[in-house]
Amino acid sequence: MSSSAAGTNILVFACRWCGLIGADAAGRRRTELPVSFRVIPVECAGYVEPDAVIRAFASGAAGVAVLGCHVGGCRFNDANHPALKRLELLRTLLDATGIGGDRLLLGFGTAHEYHQWADTIRAFHKHVAGLPSMASWLPAAAMTGER
Amino acid sequence: MAKIGVILCNCFGEIGDTVNLETIRERLASDPAVDVVTLRESLCQPGDAAAVHALIRERGIGKVLLGACSPYGRMEVVRLALAKEGVDVRTVRAADLREGCAWVHGKDPEGATRKAASQLGMEIALLQNMEDSRDIDIRIRREALVVGAGPAGLSAACGLARMGFPVHLVDRGTAPGGLLNIVTKSYPTDDPGPAKLNPLIEEMTRNPLIRFFGKTKVASVKGYAGDFKVALKGPEGSTTLRVGAVVLATGARLLFPQGLYGYGKTKNVITQMEMERQFAAGSVACKSAVFIQCAGARNAERPYCSTICCPLSLKNAMRIVEEVPGAEAWVLHRDIMTPGSVLEAYYRKALQRGVRFIRFDADRPPQVRGDGQVSGVEVFDVLSGVTRSIKTDLLVLSTPLVADPESAALTRMLEIPVDRHGFIAEVYPIHPVETRNDGVFICGTARWPVSSDQALAQGEAAAVKAASFLGRGTASALSMSRVPGPKLGHAQANADTCTGCGNCVAVCPYGACKLQRMGQRSVSRVIKVRCKACGSCAAVCPNGAMQIPEQNYRVTGAMIRRAFREVR
Repeated sequence: MSSSAAGTNILVFACRWCGLIGADAAGRRRTELPVSFRVIPVECAGYVEPDAVIRAFASGAAGVAVLGCHVGGCRFNDANHPALKRLELLRTLLDATGIGGDRLLLGFGTAHEYHQWADTIRAFHKHVAGLPSMASWLPAAAMTGER
Repeated sequence: MAKIGVILCNCFGEIGDTVNLETIRERLASDPAVDVVTLRESLCQPGDAAAVHALIRERGIGKVLLGACSPYGRMEVVRLALAKEGVDVRTVRAADLREGCAWVHGKDPEGATRKAASQLGMEIALLQNMEDSRDIDIRIRREALVVGAGPAGLSAACGLARMGFPVHLVDRGTAPGGLLNIVTKSYPTDDPGPAKLNPLIEEMTRNPLIRFFGKTKVASVKGYAGDFKVALKGPEGSTTLRVGAVVLATGARLLFPQGLYGYGKTKNVITQMEMERQFAAGSVACKSAVFIQCAGARNAERPYCSTICCPLSLKNAMRIVEEVPGAEAWVLHRDIMTPGSVLEAYYRKALQRGVRFIRFDADRPPQVRGDGQVSGVEVFDVLSGVTRSIKTDLLVLSTPLVADPESAALTRMLEIPVDRHGFIAEVYPIHPVETRNDGVFICGTARWPVSSDQALAQGEAAAVKAASFLGRGTASALSMSRVPGPKLGHAQANADTCTGCGNCVAVCPYGACKLQRMGQRSVSRVIKVRCKACGSCAAVCPNGAMQIPEQNYRVTGAMIRRAFREVR
């Protein structure tokens, strides 16, 4: 596989009750999206620990998106709200380590916002494609997925 | 390790026309965890489930991975059919190859095939690492506690008793009735206030299933849905109960507008409730009564409309006009809120009876004239743009309902949140009488200002919701879900590695994590009934002691490592 495609690898943690239903609706409307993203369904954005985001970068992701419900509209009583704070804190660490905080995207949508899902994926794909490749400075072991 | 069988659905070409299923079959067949990969034209048609079941038996497959549509597509149908065949659907996973792949990457078949292989690989990683939350069954006690015997509480108690559930009805007053006991006439029928409740009170005394505790308070509540341990404190000492559900109908209080429009300093400035007491005593004497609406409501501190004050003023203004000879009534308002056909007709009736209405602006509130004793009100009429002077000898302030501070102790014990005005918060707008704590239901003005008619309806609603829970007899913890279908699992704390830091306790939105003494140290313990498997506790646990077995850290790690294997 060409390095340019690997350069846009995006891992999406999508909440099963908002983001993923939006993704489903986008599918039913045959909304064409870039193939660069992979989805890990989670019960709630609150499940996504900062460690998982870092592991995703170490496993070849060039961008990580956490897509949950709107703040105030969480299925699990605002569990996404502390998650948002945690991940915003992580963003500063990503900046400090040189990975870059802009490789982490926090998005919020509701189940019927398929267009929001599509726009988010397209825009983030475009953004990540414009960033320098992660391969040049991550250890080779990381790029083969071994730990 | 259990062998994984992969079944790929072509969906009559919907998937196979874009994703090259043959390529995927070859790739997956080389995966050591995979026993067999088969292609099917469909999975959701008659006979498909039986064929899948036959394959499972024939090959001795322990876990099944379906490559098919999204969980919101036909997957529910497939799972139901498989369950009917006798397949354990908890070991069946599905990767979304249709909505999430073929249908959104139609212009890039090669990329779509790579992505499908990745998503299937991630699900294989999940199946290899997932564990099972051991489910528990809880026994639900077929009894309910109803706190508050106002319109909402009475209606809830009678509703539950009618359905055959023993009810303990607790009120801090000597008799049921709540705020309605104060009013001599209730809107919009103008019947005597408590008369509205007479049929319910009669039912309460007649039905042996309802036990009324007057002058009684709830001293403590412990436990969880299905088994709450309640201690009551009444005139005859303490009583302990064990109930399956709690209905809170604790009501609200009326704001005392200290300092507002001269209240407390100027004579004859009274609240609506004081006026009700004067009517009850049979002596309202005035030449001209002025009602000021939204006194202490719809401002920055209390931005809400209290629902009952406008109809209350209409009723009392009409009473002044009709019952006090020669008296006139003015209502100074910001907006008259009379929703629905009945209340709107009530407003028209007040206009016809000669009640006069003046609209004022919140920025220019009416000024009270008089020294020690009210003599008049000056108000800028925004509709005609002139300042009007009204002679009056009775000023009535329509104050809003505010949360009862006494119910705060109860909400703290039950671990249910209140909104920023102190009213008990519903769990979700689509579950209006349910709270964050399963088995605890709310109705009436405890949750939001409502009229007595609305409170009666909400009491019925809470009774039905409580009954549908109590009637189950037993419930599995996994079925106590806040989402459609069962829960993913429940969190489990590893007592060996838990350091008792309490991060999980702080972050849990349901109060499911509790610190417990274990020898010299504290460890976290999860109340399985309360846990809803959002995973917040696992995300904040500093040493991975807290996990949801179905999606533990090994699952997530393995899925992440496989996510881009196909792209390298």
